Amino acid sequence: MIIAAEGLKKTFTTRNRKGTQTVEAVKGIDLSVETGEIFGVLGPNGAGKTTTMRMLSTLIAPTSGTARVAGHDLIKEAYQIRRRIGYVSQAGGVDDNNGARANLMLAARVNGLGRAQAAERVDAMLTAFDLTEFADRPGRTLSGGQKRRVAIALGLVHQPPLLFLDEPTTGLDPQNRANLWDQIRLLRREGTSVLLSTHYLDEADALCDRLAIVDHGVIVAEGTPATLKREVASDVVTLRVGTGDATTPADVTESVPSEVSKLLEAQPYTKEVRADGDVLRVYLDDGEHALPGLLRVLAEGGVVIRSIALDRATLDDVFLHKTGRSLRDAA
Amino acid sequence: MPNVVKHTALFLGYELRNTARNPVWPLFGILQPLLYMLMFAPLLAKLTPGVPEAETLKQFTPGMMIMIALFGSLFVGFGMIMEIRSGVLERLAVSPVSRPAIVLGRTVRDMIILVVQALLIVAIGLLMGMRPSLPGLAAFIGLMAVTGLFASGLSYGLALALRDENGMSQILQFFALPLILLTGILLPISLAPQWMQVVAKFNPLYHAVEAGRALFDGNLSDGSIPLSFGLMAALAVITVWWSVTSMRRLAG
Repeated sequence: MIIAAEGLKKTFTTRNRKGTQTVEAVKGIDLSVETGEIFGVLGPNGAGKTTTMRMLSTLIAPTSGTARVAGHDLIKEAYQIRRRIGYVSQAGGVDDNNGARANLMLAARVNGLGRAQAAERVDAMLTAFDLTEFADRPGRTLSGGQKRRVAIALGLVHQPPLLFLDEPTTGLDPQNRANLWDQIRLLRREGTSVLLSTHYLDEADALCDRLAIVDHGVIVAEGTPATLKREVASDVVTLRVGTGDATTPADVTESVPSEVSKLLEAQPYTKEVRADGDVLRVYLDDGEHALPGLLRVLAEGGVVIRSIALDRATLDDVFLHKTGRSLRDAA
Repeated sequence: MPNVVKHTALFLGYELRNTARNPVWPLFGILQPLLYMLMFAPLLAKLTPGVPEAETLKQFTPGMMIMIALFGSLFVGFGMIMEIRSGVLERLAVSPVSRPAIVLGRTVRDMIILVVQALLIVAIGLLMGMRPSLPGLAAFIGLMAVTGLFASGLSYGLALALRDENGMSQILQFFALPLILLTGILLPISLAPQWMQVVAKFNPLYHAVEAGRALFDGNLSDGSIPLSFGLMAALAVITVWWSVTSMRRLAG
């Protein structure tokens, strides 16, 4: 196990004119990351993802709790941990005045590599992240995607067994995002363990071996993306219903979804129904086979279907199931 | 802590290569004192009839050099605020880098640039006919380096404490002008009213300029010399220590 954390808490105290205010950013997190896996921390902005990453990477001290990171105690052996990790913050940490090569060379040397060894690693990083062409161009002249790659190369140049990636693809265009995903997957092949935070559902789904969903400073669910989704349901039917009569008064229209959801909840294949306005989300396993029956029940009940869609359940459905909110709405 | 020396050298090398790639900026830094020497010193010479211009220049140049030491180095902290914002310091904080080395590498770079700037100013003064005492000049460049160390330590300390460009430029503006006026760089403080002469005695830079004039005159036993070296060294130790501790606090 490369990370084993127990009861991590972080309380920030801010003082202003109104007096002292305390914010519980992280309210007690247990986390275990196996060696060699890509572990994701998924949650909305302000959920405590970055604070968790900053604590585990020795940047800030936890208010309480213990952890072993890369084989060393978080509180007592911070220096030993720092020798064994790479950390890529949201800001990136690329020196704008200098080129990728100079940035990487300094990072390699201060992490203890000798001159020749450092030069070798820098060249390997420049090649691996496709940076050779503009290796000596100042950081400020690079595009967002190029700069991100320099940032990640900076975290990896000293070959740490554990890499922290704090929202690595925020602000990148789809093309650069896909390329970066490929590069992160390559790390797994080389045996590097990765702790990655993200607020993108598809990113967590595509990259992570296991993940923890955090909300308001606590873990609300943990597991592989597949098991998490299976816990809710494998499929989801999204329905828009109505009476079919445009002249029907609004109060009648509003009562329709709750009646329909009662009707559907009574069906044996239904695991859960959620209503949001006139949209109903029906969670069920094996949607393809259940759909004809569902349509028949609705027709017999005299419900008019305005639209219907069958999709695989996503991590957003897991988030919705656990917190009652959609990740898209949670800020 | 053998890492402090090694890492300071690494940061110093990195920063110096960076400066060497853009040598224009340090050159810009001596433009203002240069203009003072070319256009203000002759005015000053007119005010003191009977004193040759080379002599006026000898009185005037030490003040200019202290001005570079102060102003060149007081603004180095702005670069560090940039480095906080771009996450460079955060990245260094989670690496096994020696914390003092982050600050020391930069202050030593500032000091080296300062000495080069000083040598250029002196070379121009020599061309204009100034003839300072050589041992005095050598000692004064040492004093200037210590003054620069004080100013850059102060600047990094402020940068790490404030982490805000606006606040920092307000504070620097507020202190810079009275400090310069109470140094006697532009006009001798002996022209000032009594109360200003008393206040100037509490300005460590005033003593540095006085020591510079004595040194250029070859007056190596002047009391202002040990006084200013002692004062500036003590202040430099305090400000560099402050910025190093601030860095330790930022980086755990």
